[in-house]
Amino acid sequence: MLPAAGVGPGVTRRPGVAARLLILPLVAWAGAFVVLPTAILVVYAFGRRGTLGGVEPGFGLDAWSRVLDPTVRVVLARSLAWAALATVACLVLAWPVAWTIARAHPRRRTLLLALVVVPFWTSFLIRTYAWVTILKGEGLLNGALLAAGIVAAPIEMLYTPGAVLVGLVHTFLPFAILPLYAAIEALDPALFEAAADLGAGPVRTLREVVLPLTRPGIEAAALLIFVPALGLYAVNDILGGGRVDMIGNLIADQFKGAARDWPFGAALSVTLLLAFALAWRLAGRGRSLAAGLDR
Amino acid sequence: MRLVLAAVLFACLPVAACTRREPAPELQLFAWSEYVPDEVVDGFTTETGIRVNRETFASNEEMLAKLLSGATHYDVVQPSDYTAEALAREGRLRPIDWSKVPGLRNLAPEFLHLPHDPDQKYTLPWMGGTVGIVVNAERVSPETVRSYADVFRGEHRGRIAVVDDPREIVSWALATEGLPINRIDASSLARVEPLLRAWLPQVRVFDSDSPKTALLDGDVDLGIVWSGEGALLLDEDPKFRWVQPAAGAHRFVDTLAIPVDAPNPEAAHRFLAYVLRPEVSARISAAYPYTNPNLAARRLLSAKQLANPASYPPQEAKLEFFRDIGAAAVLVDRAIARLKAGL
Repeated sequence: MLPAAGVGPGVTRRPGVAARLLILPLVAWAGAFVVLPTAILVVYAFGRRGTLGGVEPGFGLDAWSRVLDPTVRVVLARSLAWAALATVACLVLAWPVAWTIARAHPRRRTLLLALVVVPFWTSFLIRTYAWVTILKGEGLLNGALLAAGIVAAPIEMLYTPGAVLVGLVHTFLPFAILPLYAAIEALDPALFEAAADLGAGPVRTLREVVLPLTRPGIEAAALLIFVPALGLYAVNDILGGGRVDMIGNLIADQFKGAARDWPFGAALSVTLLLAFALAWRLAGRGRSLAAGLDR
Repeated sequence: MRLVLAAVLFACLPVAACTRREPAPELQLFAWSEYVPDEVVDGFTTETGIRVNRETFASNEEMLAKLLSGATHYDVVQPSDYTAEALAREGRLRPIDWSKVPGLRNLAPEFLHLPHDPDQKYTLPWMGGTVGIVVNAERVSPETVRSYADVFRGEHRGRIAVVDDPREIVSWALATEGLPINRIDASSLARVEPLLRAWLPQVRVFDSDSPKTALLDGDVDLGIVWSGEGALLLDEDPKFRWVQPAAGAHRFVDTLAIPVDAPNPEAAHRFLAYVLRPEVSARISAAYPYTNPNLAARRLLSAKQLANPASYPPQEAKLEFFRDIGAAAVLVDRAIARLKAGL
């Protein structure tokens, strides 16, 4: 990007016609694919359940009384916990990987980054079903363990919470590695030398120099994982055996299941959106508060 | 240079598309996944020159949502009995012109004039099926399992797979308690709640798409599954045994129907006539061994196919259709969601 001549920090200039025209596609895109669908969702949430699915004209609050149902609370709490667990697991696993890639020789770095991205070329569902082949009772992992004499009988791995966590981490790991890599790569190695010269050991350097400076990368990665992980239910169905519902299951069931309760499904989706918006606000406030304290 | 070439190619694109288009007749088919063999679709195109655009769905409700959205107009849809009934009641189906679909007399009488289409006006039976119990005889003695209650008596905890369908699961509990499976309200649900509370935690896998997988993979020993899935398991390995639930089971018929706004009803009628032909119908049975309603097709099946107890349950089996329960479906869904949440 070119710095605009004569426009320094603190100087505001009104956008010209060209700028307005340039931003128009973005506004149209956001309107068509974000604002309009969300508006439909809100209207549906206050509608009445149609006999064949869909929403019948009229105003109803039934859907919202069901959102307050304890079932929703339990399922939402469980989904939040799982998404948080997957996020933390991804960050912990991705950090050393991102560090290694960022510090590798540039030629090697390209190869390593390609290896992170290549799995994206395969459908996420196929990669998840691949785990079924590995984890199932008569699967690859149990076969290897039995052949090596490590276990006497197959271990139950598939259709367990552990399998769901493995699937979630596998799905979202690249979303953690890439932003962390970008953040770490941007660090000036001279900073580590400076920290060492001032007497900081490796742990202190990590805690007081590297982590604070890569914080935007960590936050971006956490957001990129947590938000989709909260709504994802396919991994739970395929690797977890569908034994517990996630909030995504509950929403999908209203549209694809026999209940055909679109208003309730829409109300749940709106609730989820509001929860995200609230979390975003709180996170933003927390950040500015922390920044204020630092100063 | 390359950019210019790309621009030229891009500019040619609509022209090429226009010149190549010919008014080939098309059929928009909206069917269950894993239910219409590719060879049947290809055979229809080869014979009639009608190109088939196929879309698939995994539940009746998914089909309803897309059909009613009107985004695509379908020529042939494949609703199950109670869904066909609801569609017909709402005026969404076109009466079938049976003069264009010969061969209806080949169908077994027990598949015609059923409650969902008493006048046989809107639907052509595709395949029938039931829900039953599959036992891995190497792990569980089939003699000890006669009913749903036997499956869930406690000793098979964590070794059970069932279809992921709240209405289905509730119907097993209702049948076990001797209650009618089509009269569902708050009080009947309250009566079966203790059973469901005891049953659900014992299940290892809820899977409607391919409930046979967990049995094949050795992850469970018992399954309550669709009969077509059960029949495939029995074919795969003799260690799998079919048990007709003593308390009774859900019987269903999947149908072909023509939506009222079908763009090409002519092609739709030809497709219906094609799949009704005995040799075509027998090929469908070979791929998806549900109960074939076509008696002329059954004559083309092998003795082994006909002897499969999951495909062709004994006459005395206690089987019942699901009827549309209207808004009570929400109660069923809610009850199962609550129990799954551990409340």
